[in-house]
Amino acid sequence: MNKLNIAPINQGKIQVDLLDNADGLTVKLVGDIDMEDPSLLLDPFFEKVHQGMVAGKIPFVVADFQGLTFLNSSGIKAVAKWIMKLAMLPPDQKYQIRIAHNKAITWQVTSLPTLTFLVPGAVKIQ
Amino acid sequence: MAKPDGYIEIRFGPRWKYISPARVFIQNFIAIALSDQAKADAIAMATSELLENAVKYGASEDTHCIVQAFPDTGVIQASVTNQATEKNAADIRALYNKIMTGDPLEAYITQMREAATRTDGKSQLGLVRIRYETGADIQLDITPTHQVTITIIVK
Repeated sequence: MNKLNIAPINQGKIQVDLLDNADGLTVKLVGDIDMEDPSLLLDPFFEKVHQGMVAGKIPFVVADFQGLTFLNSSGIKAVAKWIMKLAMLPPDQKYQIRIAHNKAITWQVTSLPTLTFLVPGAVKIQ
Repeated sequence: MAKPDGYIEIRFGPRWKYISPARVFIQNFIAIALSDQAKADAIAMATSELLENAVKYGASEDTHCIVQAFPDTGVIQASVTNQATEKNAADIRALYNKIMTGDPLEAYITQMREAATRTDGKSQLGLVRIRYETGADIQLDITPTHQVTITIIVK
């Protein structure tokens, strides 16, 4: 278990886990997110990460998409919803989401950079 | 348009579980037809999004997908047809008119911000995602009986 005590998602073709790393935390997404309503799984997970980041005053989290082979638009909505939470935070509670992506996976190259436009400064592509 | 070198037609009852294998099949078909993996990935994503919409909002037991490859020009044409209700047909028309105007990236960002605040379980991101990420020409046809066909042409 990670330092925020958030349990992983391991359902069907999806694995999402929060991992401790040397610099802080990594949300690691693996598999295919192509179910009808991924928000049922992702929204509560991202909400817990968000609350933990704010409470712990952790400056950034890595969102590692490199092992995610597909993400449908409903999944993009869930990620966008997480990012939009950062727009509501006062400056002293803000943190950054640093996206790690796989340039060999076409959708990651075209989809993930668009997330940097949602909330200025909130998301960085690594 | 010239005669396609590759052509596939898929029909299935509107079940979510068939979308993923259809996407993988289309991806492999285009990769072989055009020897262009990036284009195969993009079309597979786009048709998957269209099939998701067709299954979510379909009003009959038939979802129909046609994909044509034109290797001489590198053009791919894909269309997905389903029967909708009058309300769903009107909703897709309104969404199409909204997201097809203006800059594709701006439209995508705007729609993502709206999606993040929706509480009805919909994302309404599929079409705008296709427009931005594939650069496709997207056509919408709705018959008087509310049969909806969305066609994308990627060059």
